Amino acid sequence: MNRRRQTTADIFRWPLWLGLLTAIGLASALFGDDGWDALSWTALAVPIVVLGWKVSRPTPKP
Amino acid sequence: MTARSVKWWSRVHKWTSLICTLFLLMLCVTGLPLIFQDEIEDFVKFETAARELPADTPQAPLNRLVDAARARYPQRFVQVLNWDQDRANIVNVFLSDTAVPVPGKRLLKLSFDSRTGDLLEEDAQEGGVIRTIRIIHRDMLMGLPGELFLGAMGLLFVVSLVSGVVLYAPFMRRLAFGTVRHAGARRVKWLDLHNLLGAVALVWLFAVGLTGVINTISLPLFTAWRAQVLPELIAPHRGKPPLTKFADLDEAVTTARRALHGNTPTSIVLPTEAPFATPRHFIVWTKGPTPITSRLFTPALIDAETGQLATARSLPWYLRALQVSRPLHFGDYGGLPLKIIWALLDLAAIVVLGSGVYLWLGKRRSPDTTAQVPHRSAVAAASTVSP
Repeated sequence: MNRRRQTTADIFRWPLWLGLLTAIGLASALFGDDGWDALSWTALAVPIVVLGWKVSRPTPKP
Repeated sequence: MTARSVKWWSRVHKWTSLICTLFLLMLCVTGLPLIFQDEIEDFVKFETAARELPADTPQAPLNRLVDAARARYPQRFVQVLNWDQDRANIVNVFLSDTAVPVPGKRLLKLSFDSRTGDLLEEDAQEGGVIRTIRIIHRDMLMGLPGELFLGAMGLLFVVSLVSGVVLYAPFMRRLAFGTVRHAGARRVKWLDLHNLLGAVALVWLFAVGLTGVINTISLPLFTAWRAQVLPELIAPHRGKPPLTKFADLDEAVTTARRALHGNTPTSIVLPTEAPFATPRHFIVWTKGPTPITSRLFTPALIDAETGQLATARSLPWYLRALQVSRPLHFGDYGGLPLKIIWALLDLAAIVVLGSGVYLWLGKRRSPDTTAQVPHRSAVAAASTVSP
């Protein structure tokens, strides 16, 4: 809680990038199969991996 | 953001979420098996494949299949034919008990070999766990009113997502992205998880939520289109007795193919007063050749008496939106890996919804303990600076 105050840009940086990847992943599989599907899986896997990493990581001591 | 606006947004977030959460939880839980419904049905149900025949074996006339279905069930009414999506050389003929099918009542499905005209199997399409789950997910067994109600819940969910995004900023002002404070009070940990999962799954939640809402109004949308197109086409025939003799189905399909060059016919709707049909035409539904246009269906209306093309205009934008929103809701457009991703994000949604309820319950039980710490400091922090 003693961390410095973040700007709004700081706060939304990660969610924005992950949201962008999600949007790319959702759209790309619509455009085609094979390569497009693979792009979709990769783009959508990133937010899920980040989620797994953040949830499982032990609490950093402030 | 001022303390007052934070308070206003929390109220919006609280009430929109509270009203829709139970239904959304139901949708997430029933949606989970539905993601894999094709795989489950393939596993559970044995479907007969058409027999191996030389590739150049000609197709049987469609009228012969319809006649065979009528001969087998003289009391029933043929409504729809379709070319089986998953099985080659199979045409399914759907029959109803009444001339105009009762909404929600399953049609009897007869599967024919499209070359020999042999009947391969019959399916009453009733019962079955997956089917029941699908109906619960769609309308809670309450038909169109249930469907529209769930659409309204979906809209509340979208509002709750927007308010959640607004509130994310003041709550995260002093926390790095993804911080989960395991050490402190359990409530704090769940607040962090709620924020983290919500932030990461946000775009998916939006996409699946909004496309779900669009799906709930599919019948009204289709009815609106029908009301727009039909009167003009039906007018010349008004007052005449209902059709008894129909034009040849294969010729209708050929006409549709010619009108919508490059498209593949997927199904034919026979003339009835049903909301999905017209009283005067065959509707030949076709799909486009590319991965994206194969999701976009275009109908050709063929006069059922003369076999002449009535219209083959492409659908208005709202039905196109509906068609694109289907795969985006079901997650069935990118193979099994995409379905697994859908399932994982669905589980994340369940945690977001569940933790939301938990946080609300905890707050009510202990209004003035540690529970308030993140909130109060967030409000204080937010009130000092307005970006």
